[in-house]
Amino acid sequence: MIVAEQKPLEEIRRMIVPYEKILIVGCGTCMTVCGAGSEREASLLHSTLHLAQTRSGSNTHSFSEYTVKRQCDLEFLDVLVDKVKEVDAILSLGCGVGVQTLAERFPDTPVLPGVNTFFMGAAKEWGVWDERCAACGDCRLADTAGICPITRCTKGILNGPCAGTKNGKCEANKDMDCSWILIYEQLERLGQLEKMRRYYPPRNFRTIPRPRRLVTKAEISPGGSNG
Amino acid sequence: MFASSTDALKRYGSDAAKKPSFDHTLMPPCQEACFLHMEIREYVDLIAQGRVMEALQVIRESNPFPSICAYVCTHPCEDACRRGQVDKPIAIRALKRFAVEFGGDRMIRPEVETTHEERVAIVGSGPAGLAAAYYLRKLGYPVSVFEAHSELGGMLRVGIPKYRLPREVIDTEVQRLIQMGVEIRTNSPVISLDLLFNMGYKAIFVTVGAHQGLRLGIEGEESPGIVDGAAFLREVNLGLKPSVGRTVAIVGGGNVAIDAARTTLRLGAGEVKILYRRSREEMPADPAEVEQAVEEGVEILFLVAPSKIERKNGQLELTCIRMQLGEPDASGRRRPVPIQGSEFNIRIDTLITAIGQAPQVPEDFRLRIGKGSTIRVDPVTLTTNREGVFAGGDAVTGPATVVQALATGRQAAFRIDDYLHHRYPLISKKERETLTGDLLPKTIEMIRKLTRCEPPVLPPQARVKEFVPVELVYDWESAVNEARRCLRCGMGAEILFQDKCATCLTCLRVCPYHVPYLDASGTIQVPAEQCQACGICVAECPAKAVVLRKPQDRRQIDEELDHILKSAAESKLKPLIIGFCCQYGLYGTGALASLWRETKAGIWIMPVLCIAKIETEHILHVFKMGAEGVFIAGCGQKQCARENTAFWVLQRIEKARKILAQIGLESQRVQAFNLYTTDENLAMVLDKFTEQIGGLYLASAIKEEVKI
Repeated sequence: MIVAEQKPLEEIRRMIVPYEKILIVGCGTCMTVCGAGSEREASLLHSTLHLAQTRSGSNTHSFSEYTVKRQCDLEFLDVLVDKVKEVDAILSLGCGVGVQTLAERFPDTPVLPGVNTFFMGAAKEWGVWDERCAACGDCRLADTAGICPITRCTKGILNGPCAGTKNGKCEANKDMDCSWILIYEQLERLGQLEKMRRYYPPRNFRTIPRPRRLVTKAEISPGGSNG
Repeated sequence: MFASSTDALKRYGSDAAKKPSFDHTLMPPCQEACFLHMEIREYVDLIAQGRVMEALQVIRESNPFPSICAYVCTHPCEDACRRGQVDKPIAIRALKRFAVEFGGDRMIRPEVETTHEERVAIVGSGPAGLAAAYYLRKLGYPVSVFEAHSELGGMLRVGIPKYRLPREVIDTEVQRLIQMGVEIRTNSPVISLDLLFNMGYKAIFVTVGAHQGLRLGIEGEESPGIVDGAAFLREVNLGLKPSVGRTVAIVGGGNVAIDAARTTLRLGAGEVKILYRRSREEMPADPAEVEQAVEEGVEILFLVAPSKIERKNGQLELTCIRMQLGEPDASGRRRPVPIQGSEFNIRIDTLITAIGQAPQVPEDFRLRIGKGSTIRVDPVTLTTNREGVFAGGDAVTGPATVVQALATGRQAAFRIDDYLHHRYPLISKKERETLTGDLLPKTIEMIRKLTRCEPPVLPPQARVKEFVPVELVYDWESAVNEARRCLRCGMGAEILFQDKCATCLTCLRVCPYHVPYLDASGTIQVPAEQCQACGICVAECPAKAVVLRKPQDRRQIDEELDHILKSAAESKLKPLIIGFCCQYGLYGTGALASLWRETKAGIWIMPVLCIAKIETEHILHVFKMGAEGVFIAGCGQKQCARENTAFWVLQRIEKARKILAQIGLESQRVQAFNLYTTDENLAMVLDKFTEQIGGLYLASAIKEEVKI
């Protein structure tokens, strides 16, 4: 799931300066799960912006809010058509994907990001999130006992651990587990320690040309026969 | 949320339409078990908030004579209470007594008006008859009650001893009926129903009770010195003081046997034995009464039955035989079987038989009589074999409880109303779904165990001397604390907007009782029978998909907060401070009451049903509406009947502070207080806070001035 954090209020307030009427759009999927852009956060931000404005004695902006089920698919955005007509800007509490989908759907209205999209991750416990996947496009988790060194090793090395490991922790942060120690322990438990003895050649990161596109449908040539 | 909650409702319009009322609680087991289906959870909750007069109002809505039930109800509700699965049930009857005594029940005068012509006669003035009179009168019928004895009340007066039900209580209720315009005819035994019809009555409710004692059926039963329990209690209750001698034995194991035993003690008997042919477990008498009897010195011989009585030298020689328990009989209790050769003798002055009673219905009533000499009726309509004649109470069921009689009386009133208006009886359909299912062991483990607070009773030595009431009433604090033990069954959280739920698992993670779970399809379920209605998940759900079945959550807080903020804005007092205060317990123990009194102008107290329901957005909203400071006052983790509430309040306060800091509002503006704090006077803490806010307000006002 995508994890994000709401932007500092000051930044949001700076972004909205040129606009009078602003629609805050929450997202009912990842941003609800991680709590950065749920319906609750949308209305909380609404209250906060309103309060900030009142306290500073101005009355420039007016706000409205709505939370869609998912911002990253155009179809979910149709319900916003009438609301968007009424406003000067959209403040999206969706992840970067959501913001761009909104911008594509409503090309005549400026769309502002309300959150900083951080990573793909999982909840450790209530209110704590950990990054788990770097979306490298070449998954090696079978060799590393289900623990991703690309994401969870500070250096992202494929043949670890490095010399910076100490008591199972990383030299970069002594509170952070060394992922290669975790990998070792897990491989040992699975009886697959031979995977530690292999050498994994460096990967060519240039093979990730951005932006990527994934096509899952087959090319069907018109007029072709199926027999 | 203030714009969006309506917005959300519009958005989920179809869902909202399906559930027109915000309140969709499930019927709790206590209410289901009560013959009168009283709103027990609601009045217990009101007592927990110290709102006793409102609690009494709720009680009176479904109980015509709460003061009587408060003393003598057999409280099936307590047997059903699910707190019993955790530690001990809520002391519901004692709480009702508290509400009656402290809520001003004596002052209540129901208003009635005669709107019908058809007169209704009620034969017998026991609880069923009086309840029928009450409701028929409320429905607008002229009602006459015929009573054979000199005073009204039936078994209430002649059966139940004064130490359990003071006579003033019955007198007050009777007085109320007279004020409502019920015609009372005492010393008027009815011999024939035809006479009543000739007098112009259009319907008759026969509720003559079951006063005829059953016979033991053993040799020597006709000897002098043997009395029937019901007759004995009747004599004593009508003011006679029969001589019982020094040693008394009572045969039976029901409430009449216990009442008779305790009464003989009060009449001066020195040695009182109860002979019961089964064991204590099978004893139908109320366990609390049994315990009190034993405390007072009554000896109970279990698994013993009399087999022969002989009169010798002015005393009775009672031959008894020991029993053992065999196979269960029709009543489900194990059948007592005599042990051959186990006979033994005891010598006593008086033998009281209390093995049950049967109704004695005059033959001239021409009513069809069924098993155990009881009147046969249709259980739904309460109609008998005679047109216009209805029957209920012990005369129909055999000896039963007061609350059952009250329920039949109420039923009779409505069925007679149907009859007189040629309506087909409407079988009362249950409006609400009932909560079913027990608490799971893992839920029970997480629920705090709280000792049941029993109402005080007179010491045994003091009570055997006279007929004063044995049980005393709770003091305010004990009642409130006892009521706070209620688990609020069926009031808990539910995912009202399933389509909004992102299955983020927040509810599952924040629930102190581990109630929400993921089902096999990956959907979150919040089982109603496990939820403790603490409201934490409601306030934490990022999608606002969860609500409480009884709206004590954001919906109610929004409404009341807006009301308070409006009044606050009108008053124009500065600096404005809003205090969210837990309403549970505190009126009772005084803390909130004193806060109310001592608040300086500009401080507005917003009572909430547990501060765990206050969300960060409430705090922001209050600032948005012009407040300069907010405090949240709760009972602290130790006193709160729910878990983790203080932790969540502090989480939300921290979040609010973080947001406010970004706007330039100091973190001191939001504070949490523990209302039970003993080391510091609460008023002083509040004063200090007010002063602080005053200072911050002044400073910001000066800054404003400078800017201008």
